[in-house]
Amino acid sequence: MDGAPSNLDPARASTIYANFLAVNLYDTLYRYKYLARPYELEPNLAESLPQISADGLTYTIRIKKGVYFVDDPAFPQGQGRAVNAQDFVYSLKRHFDAKTQSQGAWLWQKRIVGLDKWKENGSNYQQEVPGLRALDELTIQIQLTAPYPQLIHTLTQGFSAIVPREAVAFYGKELAVHPVGSGPYRLLSFNNTAAVMERNTRFRQEPFSLESEGFNPNLQSGYGLQQLEGLVPPFMDRVEVEFIAEDAARWNAFIAGELDFVKVPVSQFDQVLQSRDPPTLKPSLASDFHLQASLESGFVHTDFNMADPRIGYHPDRVENARNKALRCAIIKAFDWEKRNEIFYYGMGQVFAGIIPPVAPEYDPDQNKIAFARDLDAARLLLQNHGWSAENLPELEIGFTSSVTERLMFEQFRSFLAEMGYPQDKIHPLTFASYGDYAQAYLNREVMLMTIGWTMDYPDAENTIQLFYGPNASPGSNSANYNNEEFNRLYRASSTMQASASRTKIYREMNRILIDDCATISGISRRLILLWNRKLALLPDRSFLGGHFFRFAGQRENRQGTKN
Amino acid sequence: MRSIVQQLIHGLLLILGVTLISFLLMVWFGPDQTYTLIGKNATAAQIAEVRHQLGYDQPFVRRYVDYLTGLATLDLGASNSSGEQVTSILKRTLPISLALMLPGFIIGNLLGMALGLLAAFRRGTWSDRLITGLSVTGMSISFLIIIIALQVLLSTPYGLNLFPVRGWQVDSISSYLTYVTVPTLSLILVTLGYNTRFYRAIFVEESSREHIVTARAFGASPATLMWRHVLKNSLVPITTRFMFSIPLVVISGSLLIETYFGIPGIGKVSFDAITSGDQPVLKAVVGLTAVLFVLIQFVADFIYRAVDPRIA
Repeated sequence: MDGAPSNLDPARASTIYANFLAVNLYDTLYRYKYLARPYELEPNLAESLPQISADGLTYTIRIKKGVYFVDDPAFPQGQGRAVNAQDFVYSLKRHFDAKTQSQGAWLWQKRIVGLDKWKENGSNYQQEVPGLRALDELTIQIQLTAPYPQLIHTLTQGFSAIVPREAVAFYGKELAVHPVGSGPYRLLSFNNTAAVMERNTRFRQEPFSLESEGFNPNLQSGYGLQQLEGLVPPFMDRVEVEFIAEDAARWNAFIAGELDFVKVPVSQFDQVLQSRDPPTLKPSLASDFHLQASLESGFVHTDFNMADPRIGYHPDRVENARNKALRCAIIKAFDWEKRNEIFYYGMGQVFAGIIPPVAPEYDPDQNKIAFARDLDAARLLLQNHGWSAENLPELEIGFTSSVTERLMFEQFRSFLAEMGYPQDKIHPLTFASYGDYAQAYLNREVMLMTIGWTMDYPDAENTIQLFYGPNASPGSNSANYNNEEFNRLYRASSTMQASASRTKIYREMNRILIDDCATISGISRRLILLWNRKLALLPDRSFLGGHFFRFAGQRENRQGTKN
Repeated sequence: MRSIVQQLIHGLLLILGVTLISFLLMVWFGPDQTYTLIGKNATAAQIAEVRHQLGYDQPFVRRYVDYLTGLATLDLGASNSSGEQVTSILKRTLPISLALMLPGFIIGNLLGMALGLLAAFRRGTWSDRLITGLSVTGMSISFLIIIIALQVLLSTPYGLNLFPVRGWQVDSISSYLTYVTVPTLSLILVTLGYNTRFYRAIFVEESSREHIVTARAFGASPATLMWRHVLKNSLVPITTRFMFSIPLVVISGSLLIETYFGIPGIGKVSFDAITSGDQPVLKAVVGLTAVLFVLIQFVADFIYRAVDPRIA
């Protein structure tokens, strides 16, 4: 992997890397089907999809019987016990206990009846939460404060993984490096360079079925997956995950045959690809490796800080209009084509607004003019609203200190210079670490900020909430955007199940945001994944995430046990 | 006895000074870890909660006293990032860094000494110029370039493909040699220039002294001159360089080597702690480095006395 998790406690599994491992070491109630695209939900520890009451407020979920935690000294006699419904209740409650330092509580905040109150009352585990109960040994009931269509998606994430209370009591904070779960693997070792996992021999016996995993023979028949049919995952006895953030080191290790699967650094795209569209491998690599080129489940966007009266909302109506014109001009001056070509090897996908191509609600027919560069229109906007080189405000563009970020800043500055923005009025605002940067923009101190967002679930609600007024900083609405109509539509759609009418509302919100020129957005980067042909595998860096590890098999030597 | 007490007092003052200054820097200028630990859509109350968990809301003096108490009792707390006890982290990573860095450190210094001696002995000749020139060249090449070049040359199919590119699965002498060779070569290559220049300067200075000139006039052979007089009389600066490099080798490790070779040593842990603002880890590393420096100063003083009777 191209980064390292610092913590394997599911409550802290906020990064892709931590989530990858958490879902292998622990169980989640649901996951996405291995092969189905678009993504489809699949019961994991749950017996079936939840029973949802007619009002959408009560979810009843039955979990599978006979699932055991791995053996660990945390349990009496070191023997893992059976997972029960109370474990799920406990695991979710942990997020609302300050001692856990949860990074995932936001998924269920103000959503589950009594859970926030439980926290206010001191997070006493003896105290019941009315909306989060174990009806019996295997049945969970969740009562919501309002319909929450994304709830089931949240139960696929590492955050929702099930942790035994004995392990928390035994290891305390060190649970983060001593995971005790019921997932397909158990941890052998973990440090800042690698994690080694071995097959959990007590993992439930569920034969692999191509059909139920959504196999598409037209698109997926070349990967050796058919030979796994009927075998019981996990297929690998041992998985070693190396954390290699440095591109050159990662690529060298892959080429030397030390890695079977790699996300190719952008700097190596030209060494790897024979053609970009469609992406094909160079013949020298094609005999040994499979290629997958897919868009990330997220996007990169540069937001204007709307709380900053120099560029955002202004109490004076005329000034407010001038600021909007300035933002729109900057957006029009931004050259997405060049940004894509230089920093993403021309393989990213540019789109308008905040519903990225990977979201089911993305509009493939959207008007491309919204992100096309138009310098004349930009200059005209400035001129019509009285902006000139003399009175344009000093712009501060924030980013973390790195060569690439600096180059992106310089490119941005050159785009604006071509529009007539004086270069000496555009300043970098650099931060030594992401934490410093986040601190600054969450405290509304950055005028323009570039942020990458990885979607938590395949529902554009997850990106639209980034601009919902009440989510303003320190919430995820870093732009501090606040449009009454947008907010009203967000509230209206937030309780709706996925449907054509909800998609229409999402797209309307997207349009409002584009019209308000609150963000320069966006691009979804293309991820090039390579893996060894000796593996029967179809990896995924998107919503399925680390769940694919259990389905990775050897192509030549069939492993796993036939049921 | 009096000197030992004096040194102890100096040592304690040094530790207090280093810990105080570093703690001031950490608190005032270091990254605030709150914002990497909060979840998405955090409220002001949740931010305050995390700050409290991290102890940021405590008065500075109390935090500093807690730090010193922890250092004195070796109760270094748990990493804010991983939750792992800092003592466990140190126990796990220090031996690895030591095993990784020691061969390169020793060989690099010995080779540097040998080349420095040769250059000093043949001062002004083509061999001196060659050694000095190569040293300057070596000093000019980036460590990163050396690492990547050696990886490509020795560890990939583009080159000889003799060693692993990265990793540290050491359970025998042979596996140790397999994993340590390329990092050691990198370390030697990058330090050799500096070492050679340093030792050459010392030996040149020493060989210009009057007693050497006198010995030469009495017909002492070049080997005797160099080994018995120049090298022996240079032992004080050599000891200083050796001894005071030890904390850097033991504690700091080598960030680049550990990062690029995927070796789980203390260097990478320290770097991550600095960039993320993981204060429990950082405080331990800084504090232990200061303690180690003081201990080394003690040992170095004894060695000085042993190698140079003029030092009382």
